[in-house]
Amino acid sequence: MTHLLELRNISMKFNDTVLFAGFDLDLEINETVGITGPSGSGKSTILRIVVNLLTPTTGTVLFKGVSITEYEPRELRRKMILVPQEASMFPGTVRDNLQWGLSIHKLHASEGKLESALEEVNLNCDCLDDIAGNLSGGEKQRVALARALLLEPEVLLLDEPTSALDEKSTLMVESAIGSIIAERKIGVLIVTHNPAQAKRFTDRLVKITGEQEGK
Amino acid sequence: MQAEFDLIAYLSGLVTDEVIAAFNSYLAALVLLAMLIIISKWQGLGIGSKLVVGTIRGTAQIILMALILTQIFEFDNIVLILAVLAVMSLFAAYTARQNLDEIPGVFATALPGILVGGLSVMTIAWLLGVVELSGEMMIPMGGMVIGNAMNISALVIDRMWSNAQKQRGMLESALALGATAYQATELTIREAIRTGLLPNLNRYAALGIVTIPGFMSGLIVGGASPIYAALYQVIIFIMIFLACVIDALIVSRRFLKHMFNENLQILVPFPNK
Ligand SMILES: Nc1ncnc2c1ncn2[C@@H]1O[C@H](COP(=O)(O)OP(=O)(O)OP(=O)(O)O)[C@@H](O)[C@H]1O
Ligand SMILES: [Mg+2]
Repeated sequence: MTHLLELRNISMKFNDTVLFAGFDLDLEINETVGITGPSGSGKSTILRIVVNLLTPTTGTVLFKGVSITEYEPRELRRKMILVPQEASMFPGTVRDNLQWGLSIHKLHASEGKLESALEEVNLNCDCLDDIAGNLSGGEKQRVALARALLLEPEVLLLDEPTSALDEKSTLMVESAIGSIIAERKIGVLIVTHNPAQAKRFTDRLVKITGEQEGK
Repeated sequence: MQAEFDLIAYLSGLVTDEVIAAFNSYLAALVLLAMLIIISKWQGLGIGSKLVVGTIRGTAQIILMALILTQIFEFDNIVLILAVLAVMSLFAAYTARQNLDEIPGVFATALPGILVGGLSVMTIAWLLGVVELSGEMMIPMGGMVIGNAMNISALVIDRMWSNAQKQRGMLESALALGATAYQATELTIREAIRTGLLPNLNRYAALGIVTIPGFMSGLIVGGASPIYAALYQVIIFIMIFLACVIDALIVSRRFLKHMFNENLQILVPFPNK
């Protein structure tokens, strides 16, 4: 059976140090899978491997049954979007940030579409014209989510979306992710340090350790 | 025998009173260099050895060049002149590489930028009749154009590389949205070109008031009319700007090959500090 996303026997070595080996994972549509593990265990590395930002030492990643190396990297990354650990804002306003993601694929969104993208991530701040770099951490994280969602990805890869946030912002971002999972037909892979958060969102949790996942 | 005799006569003919006076000034200026080296050591600037090597090498180079120049200045053939400028470009690209020794691909990236930028501007200027076809005019002008192209090449490469290290997160965010290498670095490139042109733009704005450019002074000292010299100074600035922009466009695009692989993965390592 073909899965939306399949990681088979992935291992990663940096300068002769094995970070992890034999890592497997499946993700289906409408499913949310969490990845946990100690700091430095390679969680971010796995997400980078999935979107071909890093090539694993061994193993294959299949997107809809086809090896990711068969896809043109830009097309792959439009279908599976990684929101990195520290959501970086590009220079300019929130609008610039949202449009930039579209413009690199020769797309353009109407004002209404931008506003509803912000609504979808619970950012009701009327802040399209604000400089993105001046937003709070939680707001930036949600702009980064909206920026990704405007491209209508089939898989969303979230790297510790709340690790840098206080409690209040964490709740806001969590509820944004919650509604994305509920309303969009997508697969979500979310890296988290926080067991309570993992329980709230994920259908399954995969641990990454030196050895293997504990089911 | 004959040739040897001539060479010695030639060399001793070069040592005039004027040269001896200049050599004394040169020795006195080494005191300034010593001050510079002491400040560099004291402040940990790490440019001391570069300055010493640069002074020794630079002195030899420029004396040799001055002797060769008197011959080359006689050239009135465009092919010969462009050949001289091409050799200067080679050396400029090599220099850029020496000064950015931690960055890969500098020579291969800078050379086409400097060559195309420098030689195309000089050729166009000649075709338009902006400069007369003589080594005496085209070699020093070309030298300035190439020198400035070299600086902006190095600056664009250095900026692109160090920004990729400092703002790796932003670069990764851009790639993760499906950006091309160029799209992911576009803002850095534009900023680098602007920063690279800024010193010359400042000099341009203050032209004649704060800046008394060497080229104009040289022409005046050489007996040219002040107005002729002044007009040529404006021309040289325009040529420098055009060459710099052409160079920067070529360099910035070619350098992407050394920052990203064909899978659009970042090749720039983490800073090792
Ligand atoms: N491109 C790289 N080159 C060399 N080493 C790397 C590279 N990327 C990551 N590493 C190393 O691999 C290890 C795992 O990094 P990674 O960021 O995947 O861990 P992580 O589980 O996400 O950690 P954290 O919870 O702190 O975010 C780290 O020790 C890191 O230094
Ligand atoms: Mg991480």
